[in-house]
Amino acid sequence: MRLRTRTAYAFLTPYMLIFLAFWIWPIINSFYLSFLNTRSANWTFNPQVTWGRLLVDPAFSNALWNTLIILIIQVPIMIALAIVLASLLNSPMLKARGLFRFAFFAPVVVGEVAYAAMFRLMFNEFGIVNKFGVSAGLPSVSWFSDPTAAMAVIIIAVTWRWAGYNAIIILAGLQSIPDDVYEAATLDGVSKLRQFFFITLPLLKPVILLCVVLSVIGTMQLFAEPFLITNRGGPGQETETLGLFLYRMGFNTFNFGYASAIAYTIAALAIAISLLNLWLGKERTQ
Amino acid sequence: MRNILTCAALALALSSGSALAQSGEISIWSWNIAASSLKSTVAGFNKQFPDVKVTVEDLGNQQTFDKMLAGCAAGGVGLPDIISVENHESEIFWSQFPDCFADLKTLGYTDEIAAKFPDFKRTELEVNGKAYAMPWDSGPVAMFYRRDFYEKAGIDPASIKSWDDFIAAGKKLQEANSGVTMTQADINGDSEFFRMIANEQGCGYFAADGQSITVNQPGCVTALETVKKLKDAGLLIAGTWDEKIQANKAGTVATQMYGGWYEGTIRSTAPDMAGKWGVYQMPSASADGPRAANLGGSALAISASSQNKEAAWAYVNYTLGTNEGQVTMLKDFGLVPSLLTALDDPYVKEALPYWGGQAVWVDILSTLPNVKPSRGTPFFQDADKILVATQLKYLNGEFADAKAALDEVANQVAGATGLPIAQ
Repeated sequence: MRLRTRTAYAFLTPYMLIFLAFWIWPIINSFYLSFLNTRSANWTFNPQVTWGRLLVDPAFSNALWNTLIILIIQVPIMIALAIVLASLLNSPMLKARGLFRFAFFAPVVVGEVAYAAMFRLMFNEFGIVNKFGVSAGLPSVSWFSDPTAAMAVIIIAVTWRWAGYNAIIILAGLQSIPDDVYEAATLDGVSKLRQFFFITLPLLKPVILLCVVLSVIGTMQLFAEPFLITNRGGPGQETETLGLFLYRMGFNTFNFGYASAIAYTIAALAIAISLLNLWLGKERTQ
Repeated sequence: MRNILTCAALALALSSGSALAQSGEISIWSWNIAASSLKSTVAGFNKQFPDVKVTVEDLGNQQTFDKMLAGCAAGGVGLPDIISVENHESEIFWSQFPDCFADLKTLGYTDEIAAKFPDFKRTELEVNGKAYAMPWDSGPVAMFYRRDFYEKAGIDPASIKSWDDFIAAGKKLQEANSGVTMTQADINGDSEFFRMIANEQGCGYFAADGQSITVNQPGCVTALETVKKLKDAGLLIAGTWDEKIQANKAGTVATQMYGGWYEGTIRSTAPDMAGKWGVYQMPSASADGPRAANLGGSALAISASSQNKEAAWAYVNYTLGTNEGQVTMLKDFGLVPSLLTALDDPYVKEALPYWGGQAVWVDILSTLPNVKPSRGTPFFQDADKILVATQLKYLNGEFADAKAALDEVANQVAGATGLPIAQ
């Protein structure tokens, strides 16, 4: 018995060692670093220039604000879109269902760099978006020079990439709702629209909540889109997210201490938002 | 007698031995034209050192910086033998990772060799008694302009002495050439116009000793005001490095302001436009104000983790320390030598066919003695990012005036670096 446990631990050891070296140790060490002044060699203890700076740094509040804007605008739009998509994909009238499901899921499979390059081309001065816009009588927009427009591009891009993914998850939820619920409702003369709002949506709530949690965590860590599409959070720092700000402080200015403090703040925010979600989920069962 | 002969033979063996003994492979990280120019000196280098195989990797400017920091943070793992670094960005490496780079003095970079370079190129590279890198090129600023567009509007570039002249000329030019913009700056992601004009006006992010913040001093205020004047007059549109090249090729821009090394970029990216481009000096705040500035300019360092430092040094010394190496890069790619003796090369005085017969190097290099030093300091990245973000806000009208915007920059830089704001 004891031998068996020992064998089990022996097999686990290689993984545990790697886990300790590359996960636990950095997590602990970066907490220690977050109290050091690392602006130049000979690091000294001075939390005032890390944790203290967080409170007064306009660049940090700018990144936090940008992240929250994306969170508040993009996540609801994407989830609503995903629910509509899932319902359409679930419709018995749909032909070539497999093809459509794959088509909407495909953006997730596309490499980030390739898709970012496509978005840069589509939205540039002479891109297809402006071509269509102008021919429809709209003014030409310089998407990457205007702060609001640049933010819109980020939101559109992230939505394009992840709406289909969420739709597939919600589709699985839709298919787990038993048909007899709808049958009974139809017999009672409930319209399709009312069925959607009063049967489908409530029964989907746990699945939607899962999608929201995943999306919130994803948005908190958003990095690739503003890095690649709007050229490192441009124009200026108008689309700089927390992830990008952390990267810049860590790897452009090599201020590891401050970067560590930012990392811990992002983690704390993600935990807080997840707890909020958990609390919302609990309410549902009462 | 025999002793003397042995000594002579030994000396001979030693002196030639150092050349013959070099063999193996060395790798270099660099970017764009700079990478191409390093490739162009390999042939000449291999005549002297046939057994050294040189591989130049063009990573792009930002990638080189990022990978270099990551490599140094990892204790030198994965770094190439030779790394390119821009002067103004270099001090963060020496200050954060003093052990990541070989001290060139131990490899043969003597005081005599170092003295062949101007002081403003050396101050950032030689810190704490060590020589971390060897000066490569410099970037005396010039205006690269389209002769045909200027002629069509009846503008004589020699008459453009102040930025007000430039704005008046730009309005005329855009009227005469529809679809053409006077100039381009990367106002969404960079600060190159601000830095060039500020340097011209004797102002920089930090004081010369690197100990205080000077970004809100009058010269810098003038620079920021000038950028806004250009943009508000509709003469300046946003363009990244790549977009500027696209505009050059498409013929939608009339003027590019850059360091002298842009000569090679225009010539190599638009080879079919020979005769259409010319060069004139950058305008100043007033008609008789200073007209010399420097933008960019790099250096080569050897990583401490290099397995073949001697061969790497041999290459660096050939490429940067000989007229042959430096002039090859000037001829092929327009990299302005910082090796002073290379400036006396006959090529510098030649009229160049691509530039419509203008001896552009005479015009560009004549400003070099008047360039004021502008220290990057280890905090260049901090200050620059803050300036870029605030500049955009200022251009969009979020500040009352340039002084208020730069006061805000100075405050933020002080928060980021801990340095005091100069009075």
